[in-house]
Amino acid sequence: MRAIFIKALADLRRRRLQATVIFLTVLFAMAAGTTAVTLMSQTRDPYQVAFEKQRGAHLQVAFRPNTDPQLIQGTAATIGASAYGGPYPASNIQFRFGDRKFYVDAVGRDNPGGAVEVLNITSGRWPVANDEIVLTRSFSELNKISVGDRLKVTSVAQTPTLTVVGEVVDIDEGSADLSSQRAWMLPAALPALSTPDSSFYLMDYRFPSDPTGPQLQTSLGLLKTSLPPGSVAGALTYLLIGSIFNITNQILTGVLVAFSVFALAATVAIVATLVTGIVISAYREIGIMRAVGFTPYQVVQVFALQIVMPALAACLVGVTAGTLASQPLLANSSHALGLAYRPTFSIGLDLLLFAGGILVVAVAATVPALRAGMLKPIVAITKASAPRGSGGRMLRHAAARLRLPRPVVLGIGDAFARPLRAALTLITVLLGVATVVVAVGLPRSFELINNSETGAGKYQVVVTRSSAYPDSDVMRVLNAQPETARVVASGGQNVIVPGVGDPVNTRLFRGDSSRLGYMVVAGRWYSAPGEVVAPAALMHDAHLKIGDSFTGTANGQPLQLRLVGETYDINNLGHSLFMDIATMASVTPAVEPFLYDVTLAPGSDVSAYVRRVAAVEPDLLDVRASDTSTIAPVKIIDLVLLILAGVLALIGVGGVFNTVLLNTRERIHDTATLKALGMSPRQVIVMVGASAGLLALVGGLVAMPLGLSLHHVLNDVISNSAGNETPPVAYAVFNAYELVLIPLLGVGVAIAAALIPGRWAARTNVVEVLHAE
Amino acid sequence: MDGRTFFRAFRGGGGGKNGMSELVRLTEVTKVYQGGITGALNGVSLLVEKGEFTAIMGPSGSGKSTLLNLVAGLDRPTSGSVAVGGMDLGKLGEAGLARFRRDNIGFVFQFFYLLPNLTSLENVLIPAQLKGSEATARARELLGQLGIQDIADRFPARLSGGQQQRVAIARALINSPTLLLADEPTGALDTHTGDQVMELLGKLNRDGQTILLVTHDAKLATRHAARVISVMDGKIVDDARLESPERAASEVIRVRSEEASR
Repeated sequence: MRAIFIKALADLRRRRLQATVIFLTVLFAMAAGTTAVTLMSQTRDPYQVAFEKQRGAHLQVAFRPNTDPQLIQGTAATIGASAYGGPYPASNIQFRFGDRKFYVDAVGRDNPGGAVEVLNITSGRWPVANDEIVLTRSFSELNKISVGDRLKVTSVAQTPTLTVVGEVVDIDEGSADLSSQRAWMLPAALPALSTPDSSFYLMDYRFPSDPTGPQLQTSLGLLKTSLPPGSVAGALTYLLIGSIFNITNQILTGVLVAFSVFALAATVAIVATLVTGIVISAYREIGIMRAVGFTPYQVVQVFALQIVMPALAACLVGVTAGTLASQPLLANSSHALGLAYRPTFSIGLDLLLFAGGILVVAVAATVPALRAGMLKPIVAITKASAPRGSGGRMLRHAAARLRLPRPVVLGIGDAFARPLRAALTLITVLLGVATVVVAVGLPRSFELINNSETGAGKYQVVVTRSSAYPDSDVMRVLNAQPETARVVASGGQNVIVPGVGDPVNTRLFRGDSSRLGYMVVAGRWYSAPGEVVAPAALMHDAHLKIGDSFTGTANGQPLQLRLVGETYDINNLGHSLFMDIATMASVTPAVEPFLYDVTLAPGSDVSAYVRRVAAVEPDLLDVRASDTSTIAPVKIIDLVLLILAGVLALIGVGGVFNTVLLNTRERIHDTATLKALGMSPRQVIVMVGASAGLLALVGGLVAMPLGLSLHHVLNDVISNSAGNETPPVAYAVFNAYELVLIPLLGVGVAIAAALIPGRWAARTNVVEVLHAE
Repeated sequence: MDGRTFFRAFRGGGGGKNGMSELVRLTEVTKVYQGGITGALNGVSLLVEKGEFTAIMGPSGSGKSTLLNLVAGLDRPTSGSVAVGGMDLGKLGEAGLARFRRDNIGFVFQFFYLLPNLTSLENVLIPAQLKGSEATARARELLGQLGIQDIADRFPARLSGGQQQRVAIARALINSPTLLLADEPTGALDTHTGDQVMELLGKLNRDGQTILLVTHDAKLATRHAARVISVMDGKIVDDARLESPERAASEVIRVRSEEASR
């Protein structure tokens, strides 16, 4: 065994460059893989832990204010809930902090404890007076509001001021960047802040065991039938909230897993190429090893060991790095859930990954090394290296017919002289380029979707009115501004859609909403009252297809609706409706717009406009420039994609470099002959570069459709996880020149990587090489 | 000049005849390899005229191949100068030397050194293509002249040693070099095939091709070359102009014996 180690170590020292390539590729693959697996195994747990710890509600239902609280309380027994909280009086209030205004659902509760929805106070204390309020930590952090800050309520005429006395984590709602938020006050404080159209009761239910989606729908159906019609204003399940919490990590995990598999496949290809190359170039050495007494098995061990040793180090560093890299994301999840962060990883899992990585590399190295073990000593000594076939001949002839310079023709032939090696190299290039395509495309798709959600470029100012300030006055103020080019006003209403358990949030527009930038996935945007558009999840749950008519219910009154298009909307994970406000003309009480998307004339000063309109009624109008920034989770995914693309591209370059290095070393005798025949150093470099360039070009050309398909699939996976289908425009984010430029860039990088072996070959001393025969 | 070959030894920087068609001039050339205590060549001076068929003889390690490599511009002298066709090779860079070889030198190796993944025809064409010229017709003509036109599309692995060396000679001639260098061209061949190859070189020389041949086989050298230079321990120990093959053989063999017994 000692002899095997000594020989393997000696070989490792001699092949330092190749050992470095192995170390780096295995390191990248293991780091990405470990991050993915750690996230995957740990992200589900924090939510469940927090849900249990805070006795989260499996079902939350909002009731209209005219519903009898006694009846509401009785629903817990009706649906078989094992525990309940409420009914809590609640009201949607608007408050002003600094020059900004916010909406929250203020809930009246005496204390943060109880049988359901225990609120985890992370800062400050629970309110003890009617002018005190507690906010969610997520909301406070997002909007930079601290304990002690004072908030002026603007949704009631008295405009009372509240003091923030605490921050809590509530397991029963999503984070502030993705969901509307609650705030808590003493129940006695609520009446003074409520208006008839903003009040409701909130009830939390908890079941003996975690119910499934259909079980929850059944319970909700039972609950509705036990109350007067129209009593239920809305409902929320723990499944939806869990999805909202986990969606970022789920998407991230999916992306990481996909690309970790890529990285591992590329690593296997590189290891196999490398060992094959070493075996081919070491025929004579193998013969000598056998002659001095190495058994075939020991020869295999020597070759496998010199690969496994750097891989061992890479796995050690990679698994550690991957575990560390996953921690900020896990810490983020823990923070959002109000859990104290502690390093979250599994030593067992890490050991498994470590062993798995080594095993994969060892197998990838051993299979080609078997060839070395099976060689007959005398054949190996005599032949000195593996015979070469006529691989690459057709390519060379094709290149010659194109009248390319001879060094280029020779290089092109060399690229595929060993077809298996070329194929393995193509795999690494293919995966690298495909990942780059995805990394370029997905952020653009995200940006398009983000722009559609935020109306980027479509409107510049968003005005929200308090219920104390009439719609007509807002319109008068806006229309009086010379810069106002278009105003689209909107309001909201919950609509019951047949087949869908939860009331559906519906956005009602007045004005040309087709110009707000919503993306139409299929069909068309509505053009008349009665017509609606909806995202895929709602269409799926309601079994609706474009062209279908159905009867919705708003405030207990029927509405004849016809679905004319599918749109993209991530709010409520694709459960929303869009229609003209005139569709609700027959519904009482009448729905009035409260939000105004204002498009300014080109060249207008947005800040000046905002200041001027806000000054008209500082307490009752919230005027701000449209926020088109990308939400944090998308930024994280974009960053991870960028890193992965860099890693995979590096592995791809490593693959080409490795192959060109092997080819160049293997063919150094031919190169020396060519130099003896008059090939100049520059021509040698061109020859080696052409070889690398062709591999990268072929890999790149094959990778483009693969990358585009992957971009397509990932778009669909991400859209589907948010309850939508990908709009066609989100696929078509590449310019024609980019489809050419990306593979060409790959060619350029590969040629640059080939310069090292190319220069080495160009500097080779002909006499030494030829005399070494 | 008799129109066939003009040759003469050029010792210690002694003058050659002005106005002669000088092709190769080595002046006090020394070559010491890295770590070498003794030089591979020690102060060698030599003049080769155009049209000569010169054989350089010597035992293994005598420096004869080093001399050939220096003339080909494959290696550089430690001191002294090498000029071919009036061109001082010491003044050329790597690229310049490559162009020089491409334009002026044809090289025939002991082990042929054909590129295994190219056909015979493609191997022959390589030097021309490196110059940027297309010479398929001339390559086929050369293969025909060497009697191997029927193996043009075969790969080296499917050729006999003699056929491979003929392909190598055709490759060496494709650019019509002013100087053909042959390093033990029969060393890897059987006697019969070796004779055929030497006949071929002789014929080329008779057609005007200057040839510088390295061999350790005295009989082979004297049978075909008109001038035989003996090298021993990095020095030229004899430079024989052979009037006739018979005299040459006995003369050269005698000199070799004397040198060997020192």
